[in-house]
Amino acid sequence: MDKKMCNTSKSYDNSENVDDDFENEREVNNRIFSVESDEELPPVSGGELWINDNGIEDDVNICNFFHRVDSDQIIYQTKKRKLKIIGKYVMGDLLGEGSYGKVKEMLDIDTLCRRAVKILKQKKLRRIPNGEQNVQREIRLLKLLKGDKHKNICNLVDILYNEQKQKMYLVMEYCVGSLQSLLDSTPSKRFPFYQAHGYFTQLIDGLEYLHGMRIVHKDIKPGNLLLTLGGELKISDLGVAETIDLFAEDDTCHNGQGSPAFQPPEIANGLECFPGYKVDIWSAGVTLYNVTTGIYPFEGDNIYRLFENIGTGNFTIPDEIEEPLKGLLLGMLRMDPQRRFSIQDIKKHAWFLQRPPRLGEEVPIPPFRGDELHSMTVLPYLIEHYYDCHSDAGSDIQFITERDLNGAKTEKRQTTEERQHADVEHEEEMEETDIVHNSETDTRL
Amino acid sequence: MPLFGKSQKSPADVVRALKESVNALERGGEKKAEKAQEDVSKNLVLIKNMLYGTSDAEPQTDIIVAQLAQELYNSNLLLLLIQNLSKIDFEGKKDVAQVFNNILRRQIGTRSPTVEYICTKPEILFQLMAGLVKCLYVYSELYGLICRYETQEIALNCGTMLRECARYEALAKIMLNSDDFYNFFTYVEVSTFDIASDAFSTFKELLTRHKILCAEFLETNYEKVFSHYQRLLNSENYVTRRQSLKLLGELLLDRHNFTVMTRYISNPDNLKLMMNMLKERSRNIQFEAFHVFKVFVANPNKPKPILDILLRNQEKLVEFLMKFHTDRAEDEQFNDEKAYLIRQIQELRPVPGH
Repeated sequence: MDKKMCNTSKSYDNSENVDDDFENEREVNNRIFSVESDEELPPVSGGELWINDNGIEDDVNICNFFHRVDSDQIIYQTKKRKLKIIGKYVMGDLLGEGSYGKVKEMLDIDTLCRRAVKILKQKKLRRIPNGEQNVQREIRLLKLLKGDKHKNICNLVDILYNEQKQKMYLVMEYCVGSLQSLLDSTPSKRFPFYQAHGYFTQLIDGLEYLHGMRIVHKDIKPGNLLLTLGGELKISDLGVAETIDLFAEDDTCHNGQGSPAFQPPEIANGLECFPGYKVDIWSAGVTLYNVTTGIYPFEGDNIYRLFENIGTGNFTIPDEIEEPLKGLLLGMLRMDPQRRFSIQDIKKHAWFLQRPPRLGEEVPIPPFRGDELHSMTVLPYLIEHYYDCHSDAGSDIQFITERDLNGAKTEKRQTTEERQHADVEHEEEMEETDIVHNSETDTRL
Repeated sequence: MPLFGKSQKSPADVVRALKESVNALERGGEKKAEKAQEDVSKNLVLIKNMLYGTSDAEPQTDIIVAQLAQELYNSNLLLLLIQNLSKIDFEGKKDVAQVFNNILRRQIGTRSPTVEYICTKPEILFQLMAGLVKCLYVYSELYGLICRYETQEIALNCGTMLRECARYEALAKIMLNSDDFYNFFTYVEVSTFDIASDAFSTFKELLTRHKILCAEFLETNYEKVFSHYQRLLNSENYVTRRQSLKLLGELLLDRHNFTVMTRYISNPDNLKLMMNMLKERSRNIQFEAFHVFKVFVANPNKPKPILDILLRNQEKLVEFLMKFHTDRAEDEQFNDEKAYLIRQIQELRPVPGH
């Protein structure tokens, strides 16, 4: 491997072997990836994508490329958008990342529906305790619900497998964010009452449906309540959900794995068995409390303190919460699950039935990477692939050194100049690598 | 009062004018009816614009809408409009439905005044349902083109209004408990596809929307409902058979209907029906039947008659299920369930002592 390929060098000869070229670029990408993942580098400007989130294959043997390069000598390359098609879906940008894997946007080629895809790698799942079982159970439940498509459930649309890469793609309905992300975007960490009411009624509708399907969700919280662009709420994440047997006499459950702050006293006190549906009622109650007050009914420095507090069942409701909301919260957060409200009680409650007046500023869905409209991220890939590719290939491709990156904040203008300079130099070379890229695009499942 | 353009009529004026024109329409007479029809449509548009606004104007203030609603209740106009729906022109019919639905959704705090009003005047609901049903009879007796045209027009409009009503538990309760409800069983079977499927969606809404109410209704009226339901499952109409079978599966598997489910799966006649449906020509019906059949087999406390039937057919059932929809290889859930059923049936033993 030629060392100079990784350096900024004017004597770089672009007539060299294309394969070499490609491998080299990969290595550079690897570096970019590792730097990015440490989140040390601030993004230079909104328009460029540094991160190669297409997942560099782990099987590249790093040792082969190991050689010293001064950090300010590394060339970074802005990512060329590669059109990637999996099954009948076009891949878009990364939407988020959970403990189980990445979530990206997708576009259904046949229906032109926007979708979100959860990408699960078996390697990663094995490392998480109960990871594989939880995912298997979730898929089972999602399939169970797939037929009905209740509007307040984040439904599974499709499942794709890639045996070779040991990856699984769960294609889900597209959502733009969770209630938690909305809460986090406001200083007060809460919604005006009418907005909270709109979400809560949908949550209860979705819960009633799940309970009818004999499913106890067990992890209701703002982070698991997603929103569509139309403001529709969708319950997601059935990772710890449990089904009640068809012939079970009642809804007794035996274990709770949900998020601690939202667990009911019976779980906090470590009871062996408890009525399942009332767990969701409690969590929905904590959720309602949280989104209307901005605080939690029970807190604690650590999980033991927290469970101790929940176990007592004593909490206070801030003064600004008045009847009938206060009564609803007290009913949903009753310590005794038998006396706690049922879905039916909630649906007949005065606060549920009324529509609170539109007072206060509605909390909008926070912008996605600066884009308030949440524009489709698949589109640039398609445009580039079908319209830009041949006419002026490489015009977007820029090379920047580490020094440029570090100086980016202060010497923005200079950087752009350098980049333009580099641009002209490497234009032709990029055209060749493009060919390699495109051949990779054809990997189908 | 606007300086230019027409002055705004008060709600009382519009409602009075509309009532007069509907009355004129009801009385009939060739020339007059045409004029009356025009007036009705014109006034309906005025009311609709008060409620929804137009491209130039916002909807009216709450006070005006409240007055309008009050006038509508007092003049008994909602019932009158529905009674004469077939005589109103095409756009007018749609406007009636829009006005009705908007007024129905109106809320004051936790109260829904229109829902309360209709509770005191359930004729409105019966008229909506009867509207559908009466037309069906005309249709089925005469098979005339004109009648057919007319029925369709009203049926779909009444359908949207009925479904809006069904969203309110109090109104759904009145409808479920009325004798007219059982007309739905005939109505969903009518051979005109759009009417039948529209009626079916109303029927389904009534049976599934309010879980507790529906469960209570099915429990208390079990015999009557399911003897009617049996007819749908035996219908000659493929769509009816398939839709009703699917709905049956949903109803039985819904946790709220646990009691109804246990009762349904104790009856050997129901089991026989499902076993026959497993062998239907249509694969879709076979598949839906499978999802009801599985409940009979999975039941840990099978009554003797059920057990006897399964035992008598033990070998045949196993053989049948082995070959049942083998091409659904990718549907894990289905294959797991099928394997489970086969195992269950193989392990069936007669209860000793019987």
